[in-house]
Parts: sequence; structure tokens; C-alpha cells
Amino acid sequence: MTPRAGYDPASLIAGVIVIALGGLLLLDQADVLELQPKYLLPALLAAVGGILLACGLIGPPRGRE
Amino acid sequence: MTETPPTVPQPEEPPRRLTRSTDDRLIGGVAGGLGRHLNIDPLAIRITFVILTFAGGLGLLAYLMCLVFVPTDDPSAPPLKWGLARTIGAGLLAVAALAILIPDWFWGPQLPLLLVAGAVVYLLVRMLRDDGGTHAGRVAARIGIGIVLVALAAGGFVAAAAGTALGGGIVVAGLVIACGVGLVGGAFRGGARWLIAPALVLALPLGAVAATDLDVRGTWGDRTFHPGTAAELAGGYEMGVGSMKVDMRDVDLPAGRTDLRLDLGMGEIQVLVPEDTCVTTDAEVGVGAVNVGDGDQGGIDVDVSDDRSVAPRVEELHVIADVGIGHVAVGDRFFDWHGPGGWRDEAFDALQTGTSSAACRGTA
Repeated sequence: MTPRAGYDPASLIAGVIVIALGGLLLLDQADVLELQPKYLLPALLAAVGGILLACGLIGPPRGRE
Repeated sequence: MTETPPTVPQPEEPPRRLTRSTDDRLIGGVAGGLGRHLNIDPLAIRITFVILTFAGGLGLLAYLMCLVFVPTDDPSAPPLKWGLARTIGAGLLAVAALAILIPDWFWGPQLPLLLVAGAVVYLLVRMLRDDGGTHAGRVAARIGIGIVLVALAAGGFVAAAAGTALGGGIVVAGLVIACGVGLVGGAFRGGARWLIAPALVLALPLGAVAATDLDVRGTWGDRTFHPGTAAELAGGYEMGVGSMKVDMRDVDLPAGRTDLRLDLGMGEIQVLVPEDTCVTTDAEVGVGAVNVGDGDQGGIDVDVSDDRSVAPRVEELHVIADVGIGHVAVGDRFFDWHGPGGWRDEAFDALQTGTSSAACRGTA
């Protein structure tokens, strides 16, 4: 199965991670959740690591190899 | 036998210089030219300029600088010359803008550093303009663009942190989610990885500020409070950023527990109490240190809560302190962080923070 033309999985994965992180932070700022630093700081690191890993594993977008 | 057609020498591609775009322009073509030069969507550049404009005018300043220093790609436009008047005029404009936008920072001891940075930027831009076709020019251009991008990222980082600390965290979180939605949508249109950078520039300071529970709304500056009666302590004291000193020596505490609530976003809290006062503490500091009772505690998410047993009918002052980033000290004297002894002066070394043990037992 070949990837759909113009489809960038890294952007999709990064987007999902960013939405999840943004949602978590939004709930914290809206006082729905009270995130403690010992959970929030690793979550930030995990998000950055996940995005970098996705971009690194998938490689540059089509047309820029 | 076939004849090989003569090879036609291909004209060498001219070096790609940073120019303002005449095709993709909303105002001066700066974002269009930068986007073309960096091979990213000009919309990202425009969004960055707008965000940074709200960060003390940094985006507007950067845009005006580009408008002045970056030539247009219109071949019919007259070439811009690096005249002395043009250089001095642009430099004075930049200096005036900085002096107006950030006067407290500008007129400080970093002024010589600012002048050196200005000279470096001038030389880089001049190399970029006058030597754009050579290897040295391209290297200088990359260095210059790198410096600008780092500065823009730092500015965005500070803007997001400040916006969150000033109560705009929900808006910043919404922008992060919008970047995520853009990434997901862009994934099906060839990719939109450039949105990762603004998403992280917004999310990381937001997370850091959220982790420290930093809230700098309220008074800024140095304040010393002198309550005269215990009744004045009922509302507590609250500040955004600065030094909060509370002098409790004139307060006659009633028998039993009296709460003193102190809330500070960023800075230091010092509570001055007579030596024979029974003090108990419940202090939370996002990032910083607490000096009460039995010594120093510092780091991230510092939570100091006394479990000292207090004899009945003892006059107890219960300090409830909440600091985002900074320091809490309770003792028998005020001290100066910038004293002659370095980062703290002799008064701090002589600070008696264990003022309360005997008093709390009722044996003082």
C-alpha cells in the first residue's frame, strides 16, 4: 500500500500530540484539572520527544527528500 | 552513426538572495520574501510577526527593520545604496524604538552590549547585501537568519509565558490546539510541519508557567507592609511581581492562631517577626526556595508545611505563602539579596528563622 499523495503522517502525528497537549493545558488553565509539575513537565518532554521521533522516523515530506 | 548534439552550457542559477516579494505581499512583501527564502509558508511568518507585535512591539520592530534593510525583488526598482545617512537613520530609528518600547531595560547596564549587538547585525546585513553571491555572503546570510529565527522564537516564548502568567492561559492553550488542528488538516494537504515550531513555542512556556502556578496579576514593584493590628491581616497581601516585605513587629497577636495569607507571582516574600513569636508556616513555591524554621528548602514544586505542635492559648502566627517563582523567608530581620556579600548579605546569614520553637511550646 502506498501512502496517499500529499499525505504527511508526521504532520498528522504531531497534530494529534499537539492537540492532546493543548487540551491538557486548556483543562488546567480552566481549573478543570490541576496538573502537578511532576506530571506536567514529563508530559511536555514526552510531547516534544514524540513529535521529534515521528518526524525523524518518517523523514522529510514528499518532494523534499 | 549518430552525431552527438553539442552540449549547451546551462546558465548558472543566480544565488538566491533574501528579497521582499512583489508577488506575495500584504504590506511590504517581507513575509512573502522570508517565506520564499526559507521555503516555508509565508502565513507562518505573518502569524509570527503578529504574535510578536503583541509582545511589546517586537514583531512590528522586526518587520520595520526588514522593510528598511531587505531590498525588493522588483528589477525595475532603483537599487538601494548603503549610504551613511541611510545606515545612521535606520540605526537611530531602531534605537528610538527600543528606548520607547523597553525603557527600563534599554537604559540599563546592558546598553554597551546592545551597541555591540547592533554593530554585529549591521555587519551581517552589510555582508548579506554587498556580498550576497559569494560563499561568505551565503554563510553570513544563514547566520543572520538563524539569529533572527532564534530571536523570534525567544520573543514568542516570552510572549506566551507572559500572556499565560497575566491570565491569558486559556487563549494560549486555544492557540496551541489551533496549531494542532492545522497540523492535522495540513497533513492531508502535503504537510504543515512548520506549525510544529509555533505550537511548541506556545505550549512549552504555557506548560512551564502552569507547572509553577505562576500568576503575576496584581501590583508590581517593591512594597513593605506595616500592619498595626491583627484585624488588618484578615485580607492578606497579594502582589504580582516584586518584593513583598511584611513587618509584623507592631502587631499584638491574640491568643490562638492568626493566619497571614501572602500571594506573590514572582519575587520574594520576607516576613519580619519578633524573635519570641510562635510562627508556623504553610508555603508553596513553584520554583524557588523557602527559608523558615529549620533551614532552606529549594527546587521545583517546593511545599513546606509545619507540623509543629503549638501549646494552647499561645499567640501563633500562621504564614500561608503562595509564590510562583521566588523565595519565602520568615525571620527576625529584613535582608538584601544584592548585599556586599554576593547574592545575599550578612543580614541573611544572621537571619534567625527558628524563632518559634520555644515560643510555640509556651516556654519562651
